[in-house]
Amino acid sequence: MSHHFIKFTDVTYRYPDGTEALKGVSLTITHGERVALLGLNGSGKSTLILHTNGLLLPTSGEVNIGGIPVTKKTAPEVRRAVGMVFQNPDDMLFMPTIYDDVAFGPRNMHLPEDEVRHRVDDALNAVGLHDVADKAAFQLSGGQRRSAAIASVLSMGPDILVLDEPSANLDICARNNLINLLDSFRHTILLVTHDLDMARQLCPRSIIMHEGRVCADGLTQTLLSDTDIMRDAGFM
Amino acid sequence: MASIEQRYISLSARKVNSAQGKEQAMLIVTLLYLVAVLSVPLYSPQKLIWLAAYPIIASEMEGCGFRRIFLKSLLIIPLVALIGIFNPFIDTETAFRIGNVAVNRGWVSFISILLRGLLSLQAILILVESSGIIDTINALRKLGCPSVLTTQLHLTCRYISVVMEEVIVMKRARAARGYGRKSYPLSMWGRFIGQLLIRSMQRATDIHRAMLARGFDGSLPLGTTMRWNSSAWIWLIVWTALIACLRFIDFSSLVVQFLHK
Ligand SMILES: Nc1ncnc2c1ncn2[C@@H]1O[C@H](COP(=O)(O)OP(=O)(O)O)[C@@H](O)[C@H]1O
Ligand SMILES: [Mg+2]
Repeated sequence: MSHHFIKFTDVTYRYPDGTEALKGVSLTITHGERVALLGLNGSGKSTLILHTNGLLLPTSGEVNIGGIPVTKKTAPEVRRAVGMVFQNPDDMLFMPTIYDDVAFGPRNMHLPEDEVRHRVDDALNAVGLHDVADKAAFQLSGGQRRSAAIASVLSMGPDILVLDEPSANLDICARNNLINLLDSFRHTILLVTHDLDMARQLCPRSIIMHEGRVCADGLTQTLLSDTDIMRDAGFM
Repeated sequence: MASIEQRYISLSARKVNSAQGKEQAMLIVTLLYLVAVLSVPLYSPQKLIWLAAYPIIASEMEGCGFRRIFLKSLLIIPLVALIGIFNPFIDTETAFRIGNVAVNRGWVSFISILLRGLLSLQAILILVESSGIIDTINALRKLGCPSVLTTQLHLTCRYISVVMEEVIVMKRARAARGYGRKSYPLSMWGRFIGQLLIRSMQRATDIHRAMLARGFDGSLPLGTTMRWNSSAWIWLIVWTALIACLRFIDFSSLVVQFLHK
């Protein structure tokens, strides 16, 4: 996969209980882009990103990652390309030590243990957690847990990073460290956030969702200073 | 409040930098010990008393504290009582006499079942408390236990801790709005438990998604292979020898003989 793009074509998704969470979403994010996905609670952001690695499959429409249509069959392959950092880091940390958590993905890929160690070391170094590799998740601070969750995805060597509200529950210092960390990546990034400052700092482009639809897509600076758009999206 | 959190932590905690291979050695010793305890004939509980040396010494060596292990092991008494309580009334043949009082075989077997229950649970508690539940499961897997079984065990433990986390969060939310209220009507507990189920299901779904997203295909990957260091070997050899002695040498009659001389 040389082009790490994300392409949604007229995607709808209805939850089993009948809730229409996506009502015809089309968007393209190209190789190396950093995009913020904004919107009120319940506007469909989490539902959308769960489509990027086949955890949810569209009720209608198509999702394509780097040239591969996402289906049940291609999901394992797509999941290697798309690293997803979930909203609650505790959902991603369940092994006895941070080391084992970060090794979880590479071991599932059945890599030799030398290669696993190499990847875990690199990922932990990248997020500055090398010293706590042997600790258990509950011994770390909130910011460290978030970094560990990110490391557990980096170790799989993804091309695209998708993050769901990574700055939630972080103090100012941990939040700034996180921004610096994400800023140092060269991945294609799709960032769900309520933190408009973070969006401004990291993402040149923003997509705003409202009630299951994309209601605006453009330069972050322009969108966030456009009072009409912000009012339509319910931010004001 | 605090106690639930502490219990949760002791479930997920493990000793950092724990000796490599020690978990496996402890697991083997525990299994040997269970075989030794459970193979003692039903009517000779005096042999079981000597086997108590393992939980007493091992718990102190592992820093669990025998007092704590003993108190926790009392939990098994209701279960054991249920199994053995009718023995004294069914098996009424006299086993031996203390002065004028005849003790029937039923009572002897009841005591025997009680001791077995206590000793077995103590050995298991020591294993889990010192190695951590997850390492114990991993050690089982590396000893050849099928991964279907160990993955189930692992996820069950993970699920229990998820439920505990939700209980903690909900208890906090309740305490914060309860203005010191101590008891709630039964109907509230119904709602509390309903809520708990929904929230735990949601969390379990989220965790499952997070696992799938990282390539989980139904079996948990094994960690690094455990290297056995000298302390693991010493633990295995010394305890195997000691347990064998305690099981096969009849110390009770030796003591009796000694007293008669
Ligand atoms: N598991 C689910 N079952 C039914 N409806 C759901 C489920 N998850 C989310 N929804 C609904 O889908 C809509 C979009 O939710 P979500 O994607 O989580 O929004 P966001 O992440 O933007 O807050 C909401 O109306 C929400 O109530
Ligand atoms: Mg969400």
